[in-house]
Amino acid sequence: MTDWVLIVDDEEMIRENLKAYLEDEGLGVAAFETVAGALGWLRDGGPCRVCIMDMRLPDMDGNTAIRTLHQLYPGMEFLIHTGSSSYSLPEDLWAMGLDDGRVYHKPLADMAPLAAMARALATAREDPS
Amino acid sequence: MSALHYTLWMLPALAAVTLIALLWSWLLGRQMAQRTRQLQRELSERQQAEAALRESESRFRDVTEAASDWIWEMDENLRFTYLSERFFALSGIAPQHVLGRARWEIGATNSASDREKWRQHREVLEKHLPFRDFVYRTGVSNQHGEGRYFKVSGKPIFGRLGHFRGYRGTGTDITDQVRAEAALRESELRLRRIIDLVPHMIFAKDRHGHFLLANRATAESYDMTVEELVSRSHRIIHGVDEETERMLADDLEVIESGTSKFIPEETFTDHAGQVRTMQTIKIPFIEPGLNETAVLGVAIDITEQKHAKEEVARMRLYLKNIIDSMPSVLIGVDPWGYITVLNQPAEQVSGVSWEAAQGRFFGELFPQLESQFEQVRQAIRLGQPIKTPRMTLEVQGELHYADVMVYPLMADNAGGAVIRMDDVTGRVRIESMMVQTEKMLSVGGLAAGMAHEINNPLGAILQGSQNILRRIDPGMSQNRAAAEAAGIDLDRLHRYLERRGIPRFLEGIREAGTRAAKIVADMLSFSRGGAVRFTPVEAEELLETVLRLAASDYDLRKKYDFKRIAIERDYDHVRHLVYCDKTEIEQVILNLLKNAAQAMAEMGTPSPTITLRTRYETDYVLIEVVDNGPGMDEKTLKRIFEPFFTTKEVGSGTGLGLSVSYFIVTEQHNGRLSVRSKPGQGACFSIRLPSRREALP
Repeated sequence: MTDWVLIVDDEEMIRENLKAYLEDEGLGVAAFETVAGALGWLRDGGPCRVCIMDMRLPDMDGNTAIRTLHQLYPGMEFLIHTGSSSYSLPEDLWAMGLDDGRVYHKPLADMAPLAAMARALATAREDPS
Repeated sequence: MSALHYTLWMLPALAAVTLIALLWSWLLGRQMAQRTRQLQRELSERQQAEAALRESESRFRDVTEAASDWIWEMDENLRFTYLSERFFALSGIAPQHVLGRARWEIGATNSASDREKWRQHREVLEKHLPFRDFVYRTGVSNQHGEGRYFKVSGKPIFGRLGHFRGYRGTGTDITDQVRAEAALRESELRLRRIIDLVPHMIFAKDRHGHFLLANRATAESYDMTVEELVSRSHRIIHGVDEETERMLADDLEVIESGTSKFIPEETFTDHAGQVRTMQTIKIPFIEPGLNETAVLGVAIDITEQKHAKEEVARMRLYLKNIIDSMPSVLIGVDPWGYITVLNQPAEQVSGVSWEAAQGRFFGELFPQLESQFEQVRQAIRLGQPIKTPRMTLEVQGELHYADVMVYPLMADNAGGAVIRMDDVTGRVRIESMMVQTEKMLSVGGLAAGMAHEINNPLGAILQGSQNILRRIDPGMSQNRAAAEAAGIDLDRLHRYLERRGIPRFLEGIREAGTRAAKIVADMLSFSRGGAVRFTPVEAEELLETVLRLAASDYDLRKKYDFKRIAIERDYDHVRHLVYCDKTEIEQVILNLLKNAAQAMAEMGTPSPTITLRTRYETDYVLIEVVDNGPGMDEKTLKRIFEPFFTTKEVGSGTGLGLSVSYFIVTEQHNGRLSVRSKPGQGACFSIRLPSRREALP
């Protein structure tokens, strides 16, 4: 059974590189440029437990996207991948169980830690269910 | 013929008559001779008497004419009958104006006292009494038209039968004497008026302290009139014994020594009890008609001047205190640049006291300001202050900055200027630090704006190169599967890539991307605020964490042979907490360690040592990183915290490390970061972090 990771990032090469790496790690990856695209895929039954979210997106800001997805899919785990150095987690995201350990700053010289975290979250979630 | 006959007839008669006549004449002749002899005798006697009289008269005349007196006579009606010749000679009044008149008729009567005088004189005369030295002024004038003063004496003359026959006496003209006396009196009076008008005390005293002379000012100071004061003793009238004794002693000193004495200041208490300050000069003085030496004194009341002087002195001191209290160097100069005033800071800078500096050329004592002489002249000429900001000076080999102002002095006509110098080195340094901080902030602002735009492509580069490296790795099963599907021998491909250095190039791309990402991250740390989180940490614990980080740091481990460096811990025996963003400060310290290690490695410092020191200060916790490496020169020290300043080779550092550290410590933590170093003597970086939370920004 493949664990799926959802990637939302408007920078194509970031998106594609992450996808390639995670796929090499044996994860299933669905990558979208917009939140709308991701939502559509999920609505169509896209199976996903973990989402790697960019912050600056064309149709919505990352925080709002997380809140929206969280509301729709409460079991979903989030990793933040941002190009903004001054990003800090809003209080309500902390309340959702996010912390600084979930925040990854671009550029990622090594994708291994992110991939490891994504895999861990994807598999951990599966066990109790 | 008949006439002749007749004559002849007459002859006898004629002869007879002749004969008789002759006889008679003989008789008569005898008688005449007799008479003549008698007459002659009588005549000779008389001539002798007359000669004697003449002689006596001439002798008298000589006496009266040589004398300063004349002789006058009056008849029984008291009218002048005689004036000797001297009268005219002495008075110049023609006798005919006088003879036949009474004395009161020729006298002048100008006043009631004159009338009384004449009444009395007339009474004396009418009583036929003798009188002496009656003085009067004539109403009749002499040939020069002036009245004369006469002094006359006279005695009545009585006849054989005792009847009054008139007066006889002498007179003398005393006009010159009267006038001289009047002039003298006038002159004395004028002098008196003058000395009374003088506001200073003028007095003369004898050796016993009796006033011989005093002017009104003197008398008034004792509340007396001049007449009351003179001839009284100083001792009696002066109420203050101590003053009296002192003044009398001075008097005596002057009298005894015969030399004058100047008393620049003495107190004198006047009758009203007011203490005045006098300046007195006492001079030995010989009063006419007094054999003893006396003392003449002039005392000037200088109370007001003294007060004014004291006030001036007080004001001077006050102003001196004010100018001394100013931190600026103040130098007062005249228009020629000669020093008139120095304040205390100026004394300190020049090492010369005001007194010693006075009158010396300012450029001599302040060579660093000598070039300001032109400004001094210009300021005086234009009447405007002239400013020279940020003048560079060398003070004991160090570069200092000074703001110099030259203010013209407009007070009196003497002119001059004040040179004010403020050492603004500290301010200039702070300003340059602020400029530096501003620079950092602008770098930070710039970075923040572009970070996102740069980080994304960097991400693509880095992640892309990572993926490429992974996907050419023959060890990965996915790669093998893809190669097989494509009909490629992955091992051979890999050998090919290795041979062509492809993985090496990819690694280069990764490294370059990483470095670029680091620069952006460093630049970003210059922005204020951000996600700084302060937590209490023990300084020593922090240092230990850094040492662990250092041990695993690639650069430190590989490039700078960190294991070879001896680490000495010099921790304060008391542990104290600092509030800081732990990771930030760890990065700062790690950066310092790296710099130290790198410097020592590059110079091949023997037995390289880094000392980590903590000390607790009142408001700060001090963390020091000390190395025994090559140290730094002054020039490097000055710029060490500047962004993009680096002593390292191009490519080995971003030039941001220390400026980021500086920014983190000073801006984000309200701390201080400083450095001490000398070439060849290692370097010591001191971080001071606030020990209290309130001190944090």
